[in-house]
Amino acid sequence: MKNEKIEKKYAPEIQPKEIEELRNTIKTSSEKIIAENIERMKKADPNRPQAMKYFDEISNLFGQRQEELSAEKAKGKKIVGYMCLFAPTELILAADAIPVRVNSGWYDTTKIGDRVVPVEVCPVIRSTIGAQMIGLSPFLELSDALISVLTCDGMTKMGEILSDYKPIWEMNIPRVKDAAHSLRFWDDEILNMKKQLEAFTGNKITRKSLKAAIEQSQKATRVFRRLQDLRKGNPIIMGRDAMLVNQSYLWDDKERWTQKATALCDELEKRAERKDWVCPTDTPRVLVTGTPMFWPDSWKVPNLVEEANPKGIIVADELCSGERILNDPVGVDEWTMDDMLNAIGERYLMASTCPCFTSSDGNEDRINWLLNKVKESNVQGVIYYVTRGCMLYAMEYTRIKKALDKINIPMYYLDTEYTREDVGQMKTRVEAFLEMLTARVDI
Amino acid sequence: MITLGMDLGTQRVKAVILKDGEEVSRGQAFSGFDATTATEEAVAQALKGAGLQRSDIAYSVATGSSMENAPGADSTISMMSADAKAGVYFFPKAHTIIDIGAEEARAVKCDDKAVMVDFVVNERCAAGAGAFIEAMARALEVKLEDMGPLSLKAERASPINASCVIFGESDVVSLIHRQESKPEIARAVFDAMADRVSSMVHRIGVNPDVVLIGGVAKDVGFIAALKRKLGVEILIPDFPDYAGALGAALIAATRAKERQK
Repeated sequence: MKNEKIEKKYAPEIQPKEIEELRNTIKTSSEKIIAENIERMKKADPNRPQAMKYFDEISNLFGQRQEELSAEKAKGKKIVGYMCLFAPTELILAADAIPVRVNSGWYDTTKIGDRVVPVEVCPVIRSTIGAQMIGLSPFLELSDALISVLTCDGMTKMGEILSDYKPIWEMNIPRVKDAAHSLRFWDDEILNMKKQLEAFTGNKITRKSLKAAIEQSQKATRVFRRLQDLRKGNPIIMGRDAMLVNQSYLWDDKERWTQKATALCDELEKRAERKDWVCPTDTPRVLVTGTPMFWPDSWKVPNLVEEANPKGIIVADELCSGERILNDPVGVDEWTMDDMLNAIGERYLMASTCPCFTSSDGNEDRINWLLNKVKESNVQGVIYYVTRGCMLYAMEYTRIKKALDKINIPMYYLDTEYTREDVGQMKTRVEAFLEMLTARVDI
Repeated sequence: MITLGMDLGTQRVKAVILKDGEEVSRGQAFSGFDATTATEEAVAQALKGAGLQRSDIAYSVATGSSMENAPGADSTISMMSADAKAGVYFFPKAHTIIDIGAEEARAVKCDDKAVMVDFVVNERCAAGAGAFIEAMARALEVKLEDMGPLSLKAERASPINASCVIFGESDVVSLIHRQESKPEIARAVFDAMADRVSSMVHRIGVNPDVVLIGGVAKDVGFIAALKRKLGVEILIPDFPDYAGALGAALIAATRAKERQK
């Protein structure tokens, strides 16, 4: 028999023994970091909502959810991973497959990704490539195919690199939203994805199955919005807790997540009635925006903000790893196949505030979202979080800063890397910013 | 009321004692490997100068990169808030306060009410800070304190790279090989540094009064270069290296009053 090897475009040769050693070391340290993060969150709120217990468990990336997905896969279900929020999860669900987002929040795997791409590349990309190289991420490992949306430069090339490991389905996103042909072009991409999913899973996406999937995500959006609405008043839940709930939607079972998040909202509403606030009501209210913050290692900044002296509370975010996940419902008028597909197309393209978009007015949608959020959530200061190499967010900073200056809201550019070594310096910067917010009230 | 401010910098620890908001004494020590011991030394000096005991101090605040190691501090404050406080104390119309220490460069923006409204810090690199001058002085085989006066004798400027201390040093070596004069090389060092600091400060805006504090604010070579770059008058207090500690001591006075309430 011929021992034919498929030639890899990018992936370097690594001995299986080295892969195993790296995976075991990083997995052990990651399990520790996950547990530590949760301990820190518990410490920040000794009277933490009961409903958070579920989200603590589901946040163990090497735990229950991994087992469930393996079991589903053994029964023949397909798992479809995706790297950008533009992947139409309703179509995946309607094809009786399971969607799961696979971007890496592991700092340690960036060093492995560095063997393929230079350090100038955004660490979210380097880390995800590194995670794939050593098979660290259960969700990435279990994915039968990956949807790669051509948004920023990093995401565009990452799909190409990961094609050494998995089937990749690209989705080509138009960069200017408000041209009529953009939506038509994108609708074609959505239709292609439908066909791709049907062929791959062998399941036809029917009017009935798509309607059920859309209704499920509408339900999830309702409870998601309810949670963010609760955060708009006096502090009722620590920002980190809400952020974990929001993000866990990306890998959890959608129906169960909806139930558990509903239970959390019920509990929080009762607390609000009792005026049982999670921290003093004059705690500076912070919004974070910029590069996505993926669990677990990128909880660095949320941890710093909510454990600082003086302490702040994150009441809102404009992150594709956070509030952007479920903010916008798929709005269907008539439940015909065409209408549903159009509604999906529109929801994923038009509602997005991703900086990959531009126009003669710039990325106006993002500015409007931020100005709205600042007002609605009574935000006192904005942290603009950028990892080195995250070009699009870095480049939009000046414009956003100007827009916020106009309404007298301070914003601080917090640049960092996928590293723990700068925590000391970051702490000083975060604390100075929070002191500044406090001083504006005090003096 | 007696208050104490301690500034635990990367190279030196500074201590300032205030009596009813007026400075009465100062002390300093090399940070070395043990910031705690160095702080004790600096504080002991300041206490001795004021003829006071540690128990006379009503409230103390620590700042600086090792602020957590300050023995007996009642609380801490970020360097940016301390800078803002001190800058406005010296020059009430201060709107831009630049602090250049051994390894960090910062700039703070204050509004008309003397409240800090923005700040920037240099990004994980010592090329815009005192350590850069030190490394270049070594390469030139010139004493650190002679660098400034030497640079003022330069007749023209030659460019070097200040994106990094290491690259800067190799640039200086090649200038030496090209037999540039020492004054010109010294001036190139300050110009490069001022260039970096100026682009940092421009991110928050150059709004007079512009105040310069920190250890490097004592260097005539840097002051001249920064003036050339920013094109504005630069105000420097006496003992600019103690400004951070003074800011902390002023904040200690406010906090002591709050505690009495």
